[in-house]
Amino acid sequence: MKGKIIAIHSSRGGTGKTTIATNLALNYANNGLNVALLDLDFRAPSLFSVFSKRIKTPVHWLNDFMVDRCTLEQSLIDASECFDTRGSLLLGLANPTLEAIRKVTGRSRSWEVSAAKKLFSIRKTLFDKKHIDYCIIDTSPGIQYSSINAVVSSDVAVVVVTLNPVDIEGVKKMLSEVYDEFEKKPWVLINKAYPQTRMWSSIKRAELAGQIEKVLEHPVIGVIPCYCDVLEPKNGTFLMMGNPNHPFFNDLQEVANKLEDM
Amino acid sequence: MALQGGPENSNAIDELSIKLLLVKLIDEVDKLNQKLDLIIEFDAKMLKIHKELLQGNPEQNSDYRTLKLEPDMMTLLSIPNSLRKTVIAIYKLQEATADDLSKETKRLRAVESASANQLVRLGFVNKKREGRKVYFCINASEISE
Repeated sequence: MKGKIIAIHSSRGGTGKTTIATNLALNYANNGLNVALLDLDFRAPSLFSVFSKRIKTPVHWLNDFMVDRCTLEQSLIDASECFDTRGSLLLGLANPTLEAIRKVTGRSRSWEVSAAKKLFSIRKTLFDKKHIDYCIIDTSPGIQYSSINAVVSSDVAVVVVTLNPVDIEGVKKMLSEVYDEFEKKPWVLINKAYPQTRMWSSIKRAELAGQIEKVLEHPVIGVIPCYCDVLEPKNGTFLMMGNPNHPFFNDLQEVANKLEDM
Repeated sequence: MALQGGPENSNAIDELSIKLLLVKLIDEVDKLNQKLDLIIEFDAKMLKIHKELLQGNPEQNSDYRTLKLEPDMMTLLSIPNSLRKTVIAIYKLQEATADDLSKETKRLRAVESASANQLVRLGFVNKKREGRKVYFCINASEISE
């Protein structure tokens, strides 16, 4: 099987993109698949904070790879042992220091062209050399160079949306102005749905998905209710490791299975 | 109150459907208009570049410099779909002949060849010959901090 790149995108921050990306990666790695999880949100990196308690500070960041200061392989950290995953779990982290973020702002368009070119070239290293099955990209929200580069170069894009009308309107606009123009057919994942949806049957959730599909004119891959305890410090972002029977995981597992079947 | 069946209500529903269809149609025509505007604007830029190229050294002309286009994703959003499809295929394949592009986009080789050559003229894409084959690749400057 040749690997697949999955971009996790949203129209704005706070939709749970990073939680989805991280747990999706852990899910696949726990199931014996080889996974690479990349943080392409260079302006507001979050994956390093998520993993910092379990891994050492990287020698090379993804930022270094983007400016040819190291190879992609050098910028990847093997976190398989930290999480005792059956498959390999490689992390490509964005540098969270102010200096690094400052450098990212104000890049020229020529630089962005080279960055896009680089992103299209990662397949060879990931799939042929590292035998990765899934590369999951946590993108920056909205319409920014790094997120569009990630979405356009990916095989599958998942747009995480909450039921907030402002968010839905933003996604609708983004889908028609960017995704349709690039002929990308993304999946919409409803996250943080009304708490009562936890009790809903799959039929009722499918009805809600249908309503959103009608509004956004794109297919919905799943409905994940708002589980406030996901953000409790004892659970952290690695909910799967501490509490694998949490309903969040059953919901995410369904999404993971659907993505695998594509 | 639920709608009762009957010819009057059926007429009202038909009328509503037609109205909704018309609203959708107007929306589509609007979108089409916007796309046509983009194509017209793009064509005007192309004509200007061609004119400058024919008139002599384009580097000395400030208009040409400001018209220099980069194949970055935001710029690609403003070019016609047919050209955008070819650029993305070149990004994917990194280096490709018109044949390779045709296989990737599932369009005719002649279409890809014309599209790629137009992209070369725009400065989006580089062209190099190796023996009898012509390869196209993205024109990107060296990356640096």
